Amino acid sequence: MRRALVVLAALLVTACGGGTQPGAPAQGGSGLTKVNAGVIAIVDTAPIHLGKAKGFFTEQRIDLTITPVQGGAAAVSGAVSGQFQFAFANTTSLLTAKQQGLDVKVVANGVSSTGEQGKDFSAVLVKPDSPIRAAKDLAGRKISVNQLRNIGDTTVRASVRNAGGDPTGIEFVELPFPDAPAALQSGRVDAIWVVEPFVSQAISQGARPVAWNFADATSDLTVAMYFTTGRTDADLTRRFTAAIRKSLEYADAHPDEVREVLKTYTKIAPDVIAKIYLPKWPAEVNKASVQTTADLAVADGVLKEKIDVSALVP
Amino acid sequence: MIRRDGLPPRLRDGAARLGYGAAGLGGLVLLMEAVPRLGLVDERFLPPASEILATLGAQLGTAELWIALGETLRGWAIGLALAFCAAVVTGVVIGIVPGLRALTSSTVEFLRPIPSVALVPLATLLFGPSLGSTLMLVGYASFWQVLIQVLYGVAAVDSVAFDTARSYRLSAWSRVRHLVWPAALPYVMTGLRLAAAVAFILAVTAELVIGSPGLGAEIQVAQSSGAVPAVYALIVLAGLVGIAVNAAVRLLERRVLAWHPAVRSEVAA
Repeated sequence: MRRALVVLAALLVTACGGGTQPGAPAQGGSGLTKVNAGVIAIVDTAPIHLGKAKGFFTEQRIDLTITPVQGGAAAVSGAVSGQFQFAFANTTSLLTAKQQGLDVKVVANGVSSTGEQGKDFSAVLVKPDSPIRAAKDLAGRKISVNQLRNIGDTTVRASVRNAGGDPTGIEFVELPFPDAPAALQSGRVDAIWVVEPFVSQAISQGARPVAWNFADATSDLTVAMYFTTGRTDADLTRRFTAAIRKSLEYADAHPDEVREVLKTYTKIAPDVIAKIYLPKWPAEVNKASVQTTADLAVADGVLKEKIDVSALVP
Repeated sequence: MIRRDGLPPRLRDGAARLGYGAAGLGGLVLLMEAVPRLGLVDERFLPPASEILATLGAQLGTAELWIALGETLRGWAIGLALAFCAAVVTGVVIGIVPGLRALTSSTVEFLRPIPSVALVPLATLLFGPSLGSTLMLVGYASFWQVLIQVLYGVAAVDSVAFDTARSYRLSAWSRVRHLVWPAALPYVMTGLRLAAAVAFILAVTAELVIGSPGLGAEIQVAQSSGAVPAVYALIVLAGLVGIAVNAAVRLLERRVLAWHPAVRSEVAA
């Protein structure tokens, strides 16, 4: 009896130990490596969903679980604490994480601006009757961004500066994207920065775009990237990178399939999906644009010191 | 008991109460239909009730919604069960071991008012967007609700009865089984009823804020998709499930306490 108890206890201990080991990808029975990716459920991340559906990850012997996260901060903390082997976060969040000494490393591009005025997935909008006519007029105004001291305020300042305005007097207000249109409507802010689907929605409801801030910042802005941490093994990283690159290339070449896959993991209304501006999904990170974002962030005091982007993007 | 001329009184009472409840809900629906229709709020940000209910109807036909609902109820049930068992055992032990109540009361009073939502950052770090986070928040919130009631319940045991049991040399277990437990049961059930509602609120909150799978996460996805009617449809569903949860626990309470004067007098009335 006592021996049985000892065996049972030993089994329990090993079972618990095996189950709680963070970050160690379990080998499935079918020879697939289980991977958990923390990815925000927005338009930007369509390629990973499409790539999973197309079997690009299975080809690389990866059994992919996509866990929706709330934003860049949750993605970074989830990856660093070992819940995710890979995750998706915007450039500024990753630069900030790197500056804080966190062990993050970019494995692939995430999403890029189209660089085209009037046809990008990010814009600054005002009310139809607003006196603000162009990016220059945004100087000294109250503008909403989804997160302060992040890629939104950096690129909006760049828009204003490029147009010959002085961005120092802008008052940025933190408002989640879904709440921004109502705040604009009620006059709580003078302008809102939003991304798709809120750009198209706001425009269809009469709002007027005055700046395409991602396109203004640089011609081909890398807005977000997929990353991992030091604890993920090199072979898995190589396989994941191959799969996500293939997914990005496929999504970029098949906008119709992107619009279809959006119906599976978002709740964007079908009529909105049909007309939103899709971003670009090049497989390569535009390192120069990441450096630009880093330098702008330093100039605005969002980052403390100059960052060597090569440390983040190999 | 059933009389020829109609329903038994208890059933008639229940029907009347159900009628009032339905009328109240109906009034709310009418109000929610009228406010956006009359232009009091922008229809884009608060769609009329008919549109919300139509969206809910469409969503009820999808598998995702039922999976999400299942996840929420699973988090609610497991979290509540764990907290309930832990709180009952802890409460009874604290209540009957001499001196333990005085020893622990300051700690309990310190921990109890900490809002579960304050544990969100901790849950995010420990479990991320998974069932674990839900269980942590649900468990913490409901534990205190039950524990406090159990402590009151144990304190309410008649001291003469307690001394009598002791002088008859009833074992500790028998005292708990035959004296403390029946006396404390109405309090325990009150604690369970309070905890069940709180647990449901916290389950949805955890999903909404941390992103653990369930109704709350669906609301979050709908919100970040700009799908305003879907957001309200899911909120309405959460409300309806809340009513169902409360009704289920009340039913359980009646069954368990059928012998108790409070419930018996209610039935007789």
